[in-house]
Amino acid sequence: MSGLPAAPSGQPLTGTALVDDLRYAGLATRVVSFLVDAALITVVDVVVGVGAALILSVLHIPHELRTILAVIGAAAFVLGSILYFVIFWSTTGQTPGARVMQIRVTSADAARVKPRWAVARCIGVVLAALPLFAGFVPILFDSRRRGFQDWLARTTVVEAPGPSIADVSRAKKRAIREASRQPPPVVPR
Amino acid sequence: MSADRRGTFRLGPLGPLVGLGTRAATATLRPIAGVVEAAADVGVSLERRVVNRVLDSDELERVVVVAVNSAHIQAALKQALESDGVAQLIDSLFDSGLIDRFLAGLVDSGTLDRFFDRLLTSEGLWNLIDEIAGSPAVTAAISQQGLGFADQVGDQVRDRSRKADDWMERAARRLIGRQPRALPAEPDAGT
Repeated sequence: MSGLPAAPSGQPLTGTALVDDLRYAGLATRVVSFLVDAALITVVDVVVGVGAALILSVLHIPHELRTILAVIGAAAFVLGSILYFVIFWSTTGQTPGARVMQIRVTSADAARVKPRWAVARCIGVVLAALPLFAGFVPILFDSRRRGFQDWLARTTVVEAPGPSIADVSRAKKRAIREASRQPPPVVPR
Repeated sequence: MSADRRGTFRLGPLGPLVGLGTRAATATLRPIAGVVEAAADVGVSLERRVVNRVLDSDELERVVVVAVNSAHIQAALKQALESDGVAQLIDSLFDSGLIDRFLAGLVDSGTLDRFFDRLLTSEGLWNLIDEIAGSPAVTAAISQQGLGFADQVGDQVRDRSRKADDWMERAARRLIGRQPRALPAEPDAGT
């Protein structure tokens, strides 16, 4: 996987010339994608939190220390969430939610997002949500469906249709089957 | 009894002579009969051994395979199955009500119930079901079906969210009096 989005024609996207041919993801698709990511993060955090609480419940820890641990846990939650988005955006351009919705975050020239811009985008999402989510409204009007966070991090969110999980699974099985059918290589004496 | 009397009456004085001859013939033929009986036993035993050897050998399988694969036999079977005679025979079999009576008798007799009861209580059946359920082919098919279902749900969600995107954008632009944005063409399915 190159990490670059594919143009609707199937050709690899390598420059700004094809940027206008892309279909940009709209507000509803991005909201659904974010909900999937939020659900995933929440499930992981709940499992980790319950585990930590169970361990702490059998230990005799002073109240002050418990408060400090709670602060550390909250910080870890925030840091983990930021890392989740930053790592996915700056590597594949797709979080699991974005993969489900087949969309991808790219830089304005359709290249991979650099980590510092991914961090900026993460901050931009928080800033966009603070004024009653007003920062997301420009997605409805902008020609490239960019919100405040996209404007801040110079990114766009494009549709990235690809093979489904079932297709990938089928292709893997087919490859394994074909590999097993091939005769073993003849070793020269 | 009367026949004996009649025979005795007819033979008269020759009766003892005939009896003697009969006994002599019996005594003479007894070894021959034993030989014949032994030969028959040997023949039956030999026949069984031959049949067993034929059944155990690969030759029978080869012959059956060759026969089944034979173009002539296949053509003959096909011709026979396609002939009107076979069709009439099958029709007459069904029309005669024999099969209906057989099935009705089978169900009414309770044989079928007893068969299924015994089948369900047999350990072999459940072992077979366990084997089938645990086979890689079945698990692969189930997981593939699950993934296929997830794909279908994903496709539906994506399709609807795309429509919602366009609808929200149009509504927002209409609200502020702007022209709707020209959307690029939908990519072909599978690309």
